[in-house]
Amino acid sequence: MPRESSSIADLLADARVWKLKDASASHRLSSCRPVWSTGKSALDARLPGGGWPTASLVEVLIDVNGLGEVQLFLPALVESQRRTDGDVPWLVWIGPPHEPYAPALAQQGIELGRLLVVRPPSATEALWAAEQALRSGVCAAVLLWLKGTDDRWLRRLKLAAEEGGALGVLFRPERHRFESSPANLRLLMTQDEQQPRLELLKVQGGRPGLVDLGAS
Amino acid sequence: MAPTGAQTADLFAAPAPRDAPAPPVSHQRRRNLWYAVVFAGTPDLYPLSLHAQQFTSFVSLAAPNALLLEIQGSLRLFGSFVRLRELLDARWQALGVPAQSAIAPSTLAALWSARVGQELCSDDATSLTGRLLQMPLICTAWDAARLQTLRSMGIQRLGDLLRLPRAGLARRLGVQAVRDLDVALGRQPEARRAFVPRERFRERLDFETEIEHVAYLERALEPVLERCALFLRRRQAGVQSLALRLRHRVRHPTVLRLGFASVTSEPRRLLEVLAQRLGRLELPAAVRAIELHSGTLQPLSAVSLDAFGGGGRDTAVQLIERLRARLGEQAVYGVTTQREHRPEAAWCRVQHLSLAAPVASSPQPLEAMPRPVWLLDEPVLLSQREVGELRLESGAGPRDPERIETGWWDGKGVARDYYSIRPARGAKLWVFQERHTKSWFLHGMFA
Repeated sequence: MPRESSSIADLLADARVWKLKDASASHRLSSCRPVWSTGKSALDARLPGGGWPTASLVEVLIDVNGLGEVQLFLPALVESQRRTDGDVPWLVWIGPPHEPYAPALAQQGIELGRLLVVRPPSATEALWAAEQALRSGVCAAVLLWLKGTDDRWLRRLKLAAEEGGALGVLFRPERHRFESSPANLRLLMTQDEQQPRLELLKVQGGRPGLVDLGAS
Repeated sequence: MAPTGAQTADLFAAPAPRDAPAPPVSHQRRRNLWYAVVFAGTPDLYPLSLHAQQFTSFVSLAAPNALLLEIQGSLRLFGSFVRLRELLDARWQALGVPAQSAIAPSTLAALWSARVGQELCSDDATSLTGRLLQMPLICTAWDAARLQTLRSMGIQRLGDLLRLPRAGLARRLGVQAVRDLDVALGRQPEARRAFVPRERFRERLDFETEIEHVAYLERALEPVLERCALFLRRRQAGVQSLALRLRHRVRHPTVLRLGFASVTSEPRRLLEVLAQRLGRLELPAAVRAIELHSGTLQPLSAVSLDAFGGGGRDTAVQLIERLRARLGEQAVYGVTTQREHRPEAAWCRVQHLSLAAPVASSPQPLEAMPRPVWLLDEPVLLSQREVGELRLESGAGPRDPERIETGWWDGKGVARDYYSIRPARGAKLWVFQERHTKSWFLHGMFA
């Protein structure tokens, strides 16, 4: 019997056969998922899609609190709560360095009724909470402040973010700069003489390098 | 002369005194059928109730030694009440507890018949009164004084009692006795508390020889976990965490927490997580006993029945509950604004999160001036040197203060000038100068 008569199921089971379904799935992941503007045109221009990617993990390396690191994400958080037509999605802040000041967030336009602050007792619990929140599918974004963690946990967070369609943002100290990280985006924030300095260390689908925030 | 059932019922339905109203018999009420079982001696009713729960969803304990089962709802499954009674009686026999049972349309009729061993197995409400007439008074299990009163009146059987006028009966024996009779005759339903099984699983296993290897420990724990899973399955419940204590001879017990991503009762999942945890465990000493505790049981949802939670999405409630379950109530909270000019009082934590309610847009804060994202718990006093540096680094010094002067009425008044400053190195700060003392404080950070 000639080989041509093998069934279509056999053909599809062959790993060498390229299937359109897979292609569309990966396509959707890479470019068609929504992005949220960073509120800074100079930064938007450098990010693929023009904003923070959803369903992904963003890592911000920062040693000093208060360089405008939260401000980078606030417009995106506001947008994420506004954009959905159904129920307003939740924002979860895990282990923030200080008390998030409600009047400031309300001024920016955050729905405080859908903001959850979590104070876990340890780093492991913080990672667990972040994974749960990212995966849950009810959160638009999860912000997580950590001293340190390992690669394996970051991978779990990234998977959870993809599964739940949420934006995961991880803040951790600069000393982790040279560790490998599965994050889709890595940023380094430091303090320059005059203003904060923002460097893209890793951009999936983009070009790393320094971002001039002053231009926006 | 032995009165007929109908006559007795008429006599008994004489006008009721105010303190013992006889409720009208409602024919619309859903009919119940009760199986009562009275055990010899005083056995532990708990395990027996668990057995009884396999036959009906409503089991009620009648202390000290009886159970009442509502069986009308189980008839379809078991065919007939005669068959069901055979099965139940066979179960007690198999368990080795001597028992007497009866079936009647009212709780107390069944219970009283079972107590004195009078054969009663009927769902006929009309013949109930007639059947009760011949029963000795002892079946009611009323207190000795009451029974003595009745005996001295020459009353031996329920039938004698029912012939007495209702008002006098209520006066002599108390309202409760009259109510009991009403219940037994099926004139009045009885509110019974359903048996609810203990909501935790707890099992301790002592080893004959101490276990030194994790692999053996796992083997030993397997049946315990399986029993735990069975316990959960019987309750249509699951757990999200289990606590395992390993007891040693001298050291403090080692406590392991097995956490699960979703509520589960799957023995396979329990075992898998256990194996993971044990794999990472270094036994500090040989183990002589183990204890497994389940936390509070949680209802299994269709999502948690899914093998590994797969594509199952949580609701916000589930997420928050789960976070709170593991991290504590206080560790998960919301924030909201308060109508208050003092910055430290302009917000508060929200422990009670309104999950279901549609979100009204956040209340707009009073202030138009920008507020920092982070607020320090307490303002930090800045030293003279720090103030000097701030002045120096922020160039010409801070300008355009925001004056907050309020709260004089409650003794926590503030009089402050707030400035946003960005020192040359570091974060943008929110500082204020106390207007009376002229000292400087750091109160927040823009981020």
